Amino acid sequence: MNVTREEAAKALDDIGKASDRVFQLKGYHHGAPHFIIWGLVWLFANCGSYFMPEYREYFWPAGLAFGFVASTITGILQSRKWPKGATASAAERRFGSRMGMTAGVVMAFIIAIVFIASPETSREVNAMISIVFPFLYMAGGIWAGWRLFAIGFVTAAAIIGGYIWIPEHFELWMGLFGGGSLLAGGIWLRTA
Amino acid sequence: MEGPDEIIHQSTRLRIAATLNSLPSGELMEFGKLKSILGATDGNMATHLAALEKAGYIAVEKDFVGKKPRTRVNLTRVGRKAFERHVAYLKDLLAGGN
Repeated sequence: MNVTREEAAKALDDIGKASDRVFQLKGYHHGAPHFIIWGLVWLFANCGSYFMPEYREYFWPAGLAFGFVASTITGILQSRKWPKGATASAAERRFGSRMGMTAGVVMAFIIAIVFIASPETSREVNAMISIVFPFLYMAGGIWAGWRLFAIGFVTAAAIIGGYIWIPEHFELWMGLFGGGSLLAGGIWLRTA
Repeated sequence: MEGPDEIIHQSTRLRIAATLNSLPSGELMEFGKLKSILGATDGNMATHLAALEKAGYIAVEKDFVGKKPRTRVNLTRVGRKAFERHVAYLKDLLAGGN
């Protein structure tokens, strides 16, 4: 059997594409439950704060605590889901370690930006923290897959639109459309 | 330099092996998911999976989820080694070997 250099180049290209596609699907499937969890947090904390403003100070801490615990447990369960004897591929190890480091950098960035900009109203704080994530999804989507980019784009548009045009109902808007877009996005990623 | 692996080199089989090789060792992939990733037909997939299974490169597991039949495949250790050897051959060829 003879293989030409052109055939070899095409074969290696096909191998690279197949590997990239698996890496993309893994990312989608690992990310989906986290989108759903944080969509629920956003929905709960924003709508709760809107309908019961006297308890506003409790909704976000409770929502965030739930989100971090649920996300951590989900991450642990995902890592244990592998069959007996399975070992992490290079792509899996790369993805897991980069996700952890990225989360740390993002949290530090949010704390720094809120400290420097010193937003005055709860609407400004809410919008400033919330807007970071959809742009991250868009940036990540450029590398990981167009579905992630689309979720980020729709969510960012919802946040900016609500901040500009309906400031008096911003929390309700954020709960329904911000949280809703994350929930729908998570379900969409699961179908990939 | 070793020659090409004639079983793996065929385009669809190469993509099947590459896809399964990207999974953690021992992890199974459902037939439908593999088919959708490769954009292949049922018949085409079945033919190539049978060829890979006959060579001992993949293992096929059939079971039921509720009443629904499920077929899953994974790359065996022999399959992974054969795939890695074939990739090394292709890289050597491009690098000017042979």
